[in-house]
Amino acid sequence: MEKNYHVCTGCGLLCDDIEVESEKNIINKVYTACRVGVAHMKEGKEEAIFRVDNKPVNEETAISEAASILKNAKNPLIFGLGTSTSETHKLAIELARKTNATLDDTSSFCLGSLVEALIHNKIKTCTLDDVRNKADVIIFWGADPSDSHPRHLSKYSYFPRGSEKQRGWEEERTAIAIDIRKSHTAKICGNYFFQIPPGGDTEFIDALIAGLSGKLPKTSYNYPPKKILELANILKGAKFGIVFAGLGLIYSLENLEPLFRLMKALNEKANFHLVPMVGHYNMRGFNENLFAETGYVNSVKFENDIVKHGPEYSIVESLKAKTVDAALIIGSDPLSSLPRSIAKNLFEIPVISMDPCETLTSRNAKVYINTAISGVEAGGTATRMDGTKVSFKPVVETNHPSDEAILKKIMEAL
Amino acid sequence: MDFGSFLTVPEIKVKVVTYRDIFQDKAMIENRFGEEYRDRSAVIKLDPADLKQLSVKKGDTVILKNSFGRVVVRAEESGYETSHRGIAYMPNSPWSNILVSDETGGTGVPKFKDISVTVTSAKGEKVTEPGF
Amino acid sequence: MTNAMELYQMLPKTNCKKCGKTSCMAFAVALMARELTPDDCPPLKDEPKYREGYEKISGLFKPSEGATETGLVVHEDLCFGCGNCVVACPVNVANDPYGVGSGNAPKNINKLILTIENGIVKAQNVGECRRFGKNKILCNGCIVTCPVEAIEFV
Ligand code: SF4
Ligand code: SF4
Ligand code: SF4
Ligand code: SF4
Repeated sequence: MEKNYHVCTGCGLLCDDIEVESEKNIINKVYTACRVGVAHMKEGKEEAIFRVDNKPVNEETAISEAASILKNAKNPLIFGLGTSTSETHKLAIELARKTNATLDDTSSFCLGSLVEALIHNKIKTCTLDDVRNKADVIIFWGADPSDSHPRHLSKYSYFPRGSEKQRGWEEERTAIAIDIRKSHTAKICGNYFFQIPPGGDTEFIDALIAGLSGKLPKTSYNYPPKKILELANILKGAKFGIVFAGLGLIYSLENLEPLFRLMKALNEKANFHLVPMVGHYNMRGFNENLFAETGYVNSVKFENDIVKHGPEYSIVESLKAKTVDAALIIGSDPLSSLPRSIAKNLFEIPVISMDPCETLTSRNAKVYINTAISGVEAGGTATRMDGTKVSFKPVVETNHPSDEAILKKIMEAL
Repeated sequence: MDFGSFLTVPEIKVKVVTYRDIFQDKAMIENRFGEEYRDRSAVIKLDPADLKQLSVKKGDTVILKNSFGRVVVRAEESGYETSHRGIAYMPNSPWSNILVSDETGGTGVPKFKDISVTVTSAKGEKVTEPGF
Repeated sequence: MTNAMELYQMLPKTNCKKCGKTSCMAFAVALMARELTPDDCPPLKDEPKYREGYEKISGLFKPSEGATETGLVVHEDLCFGCGNCVVACPVNVANDPYGVGSGNAPKNINKLILTIENGIVKAQNVGECRRFGKNKILCNGCIVTCPVEAIEFV
């Protein structure tokens, strides 16, 4: 009996083994997905909503209003897309070209730099399936997958049996957490949890590198050298090591140099890979798709066929400097996720919000278009956190338009 | 300035470590404007000794303040994350983002994980509404 | 979790064999395996001097709310649905090595103890659990792998 599995788009893990029982397009039961995945799958709601100036309108009016905002803007910002399909990304890039827009996604203030380094082959990486099949030393650094990617440890990184790991996690794998907080993941790692002070990551990296070459590891916060040496010894013995790098690590580093140093040192003594803990289901896809079109992973500005790039074209800097004069926000809620001191500048420009759910941003937008939930009500392809392409069909039917369909219509209306 | 009333309210400085919580994420997906999301987001977890110094009981509201903003949230005792005086834990949310600096050094990356605030008892003041 | 030794300490320790076992220690082992109940030891049940021990032991074996016959309790409100316990449980692995044993959806759901339904762990076939029955071992696969102690044995 061949089972019909669905893909969960609740996080960057894109679990591909979810069974669903539904009736009349309402999902009643979800099997194997975690709590977040179930909430995501059951998110669906009733009627499609379109609003202009907080009044309900029909689809046509909302689209023509959105198009005229974009047409009248000199430098509109197009932002979001972490929870959109790669097909939608391509349309958004085309729309940005057409409107001379600034285009960015959340990766500019989270893991974009790391994904870029992977695209440029600056760090050795591997797939999650490799991790399941081979990994013997697993490091969660500044990451807490138990909360952010709940099935990470059970589906790939620690507990499952793999082709070269038949005897199970107790005997054949060592999971290590390095963090400033004893997270749920750190708890599972037990004695292999290394707690460092906030901002102490760079020093810990250098102490670890010293330890790897047998030198005395020193830190200004007097981390017990014995513990670092013990850790270095475990890492040296790794046949297939993996570092899962989270936001906690990236935010603590000024730039990625310390991480490059560490990976180099680890690969002189052992065999180590790195996979970024990408949160949104297709953020990595956005980075790759934009890179394929422009050579940059985020923060770009289109200007009559040339593409400019730099932090000044990130959402944060362009809002701070007030260089953008309208915003099209797709599946993201910057009013909630950015520092309020920066996000408040969105109130000064017309905002179009396309989102399957009501957010602070949608409630304060000039135009709101309630779209289908990508991955549940609309299908497409995406890139998993480890770079693997995954395609999916909608789980249920809906009368909500997909963001892909809306972008197409906006483009036609321009 | 009225120093008298200032001194009677104990005030401490803490470093806020933000984190993600699965139940908070689940509540957000279900309804960003719901009570559950607020209850799970507008929270700061403090060391028991810090709570004592503030004369604040678990579940009371506290005011968090720095030069970027002010927000009222519920105080809890830190649990499994191991507590240290002067270190507080807060789930990542619109509430914590009120306290994040707009200083980025032109990098496009705000210092989300580097938040310092002063904490005082809110004396029963209600948790801040998430809107603007 | 209680072990047989702790139970033994609360028994009369007279080895009178009224329970049908050869010694109080054997009775304790049978208690652990849920083959017998505290009421099966007549002196313990009837003699006032053992009352304290009787009450304590009875308390331990009183099925608490939500407990299955083997004492496995799932705290549904705490569970993440992460599946760590599902993948780590040796019985699950033995019965479904390429499904849950490899981190995937179950291929053989009827033979499993732990599965995830609607984002929460569900226990079935608990009689198969290694902590119980004749060849029991002190398995803690589903306890040490859980981020929140959502599974407990009472
Ligand atoms: S881990 Fe992520 S992708 Fe997998 S079921 Fe949970 S939310 Fe969905
Ligand atoms: S009946 Fe009670 S006292 Fe007698 S041997 Fe059995 S357990 Fe011991
Ligand atoms: S105690 Fe062991 S056998 Fe029993 S359910 Fe837990 S992991 Fe499975
Ligand atoms: S019981 Fe614990 S390990 Fe099992 S699914 Fe729930 S949270 Fe995960």
